[in-house]
Amino acid sequence: MSDETELTALVRAAQRGDGLAMAGLIDVLTPAIGRWCGPIALQDGPDATQEALIAVFRGLKGLAEPAALFGWARSIAVREAVRVARRTARHRTVELVDLPAPGDPLLAVDIADVLERLTPEHRAVLMLRELDGLDERTIAGLLDVPAGTVKSRLSRARRSFRKEWAR
Amino acid sequence: MSWPIADLDAVRRLHVLAGAVPGAAAAESVLPASFDQVWAVAADLEGELPRYLPDVRSLRITRVDGDRLEADARGYAGLRAHFDIVLRPGWCVMRSRFLLGAMAAVADGDHTRFAFLAGAQLPVQRVVGPVLSVVGRWSAPRVVARFGERVALRR
Repeated sequence: MSDETELTALVRAAQRGDGLAMAGLIDVLTPAIGRWCGPIALQDGPDATQEALIAVFRGLKGLAEPAALFGWARSIAVREAVRVARRTARHRTVELVDLPAPGDPLLAVDIADVLERLTPEHRAVLMLRELDGLDERTIAGLLDVPAGTVKSRLSRARRSFRKEWAR
Repeated sequence: MSWPIADLDAVRRLHVLAGAVPGAAAAESVLPASFDQVWAVAADLEGELPRYLPDVRSLRITRVDGDRLEADARGYAGLRAHFDIVLRPGWCVMRSRFLLGAMAAVADGDHTRFAFLAGAQLPVQRVVGPVLSVVGRWSAPRVVARFGERVALRR
């Protein structure tokens, strides 16, 4: 049985209320959701991951196409991570620190220090762009903001990120 | 590059499962024992589970395939149930036609956080879920307490 067939069977069984399948789905989804929530929610990453998984299961019956599971779960994870990070307000509300371009050598460092200085929304843009390689239009759709907003944030961000890093 | 990755420990995963299964109830406690001591009791399903689950008279493992097990349980009220089980260190989920149970444990310094879940499977989930939820909220902490007693006795 292929991985896709196995995943489809797991999702369908979980949708029918099979607790063992739900547990299997938690195993399958947790690494990906932790990877999406970590850069956005930082210290609150475990809380965000837990709440994102609960939200995934609340909406699972409405997922018509099991093959779309990860894309669908990603949108939930990003939304929950931003919400949890906002709630705890651990990000610094200083002037926006801007972001490097994809592939920029500046990113070849521990990025945690940079993320600490960003708002949750900007961490989400950075993560989706750099980690998942999404284009601006897709990011805009996922975050429910105009594509121009994503583009201008990224553009402005790249300039001042370098200034901040060079301090 | 080192992006932060959020981890979800087994006890948190159990709470996710409790949130996903209608009517499921979970209870948690920090036990004054090491993870190995706690999990030695949890993983001994045949020997220990009937000692802390009041409705189970006996449980017999019938098949083992890696972390997948099958077991037949007998209850005091004549209940007989076949369980499919996933068992690995810190994580155990048991599912019969009508019932769902889970245990999780995570080391917490010298102690261990232990959690237990009780719930119903479809098709009875929607019918008895609300009742089980009330019963589970009452019984799950008692199961955890009895489990803690078993750990203390075996230390």
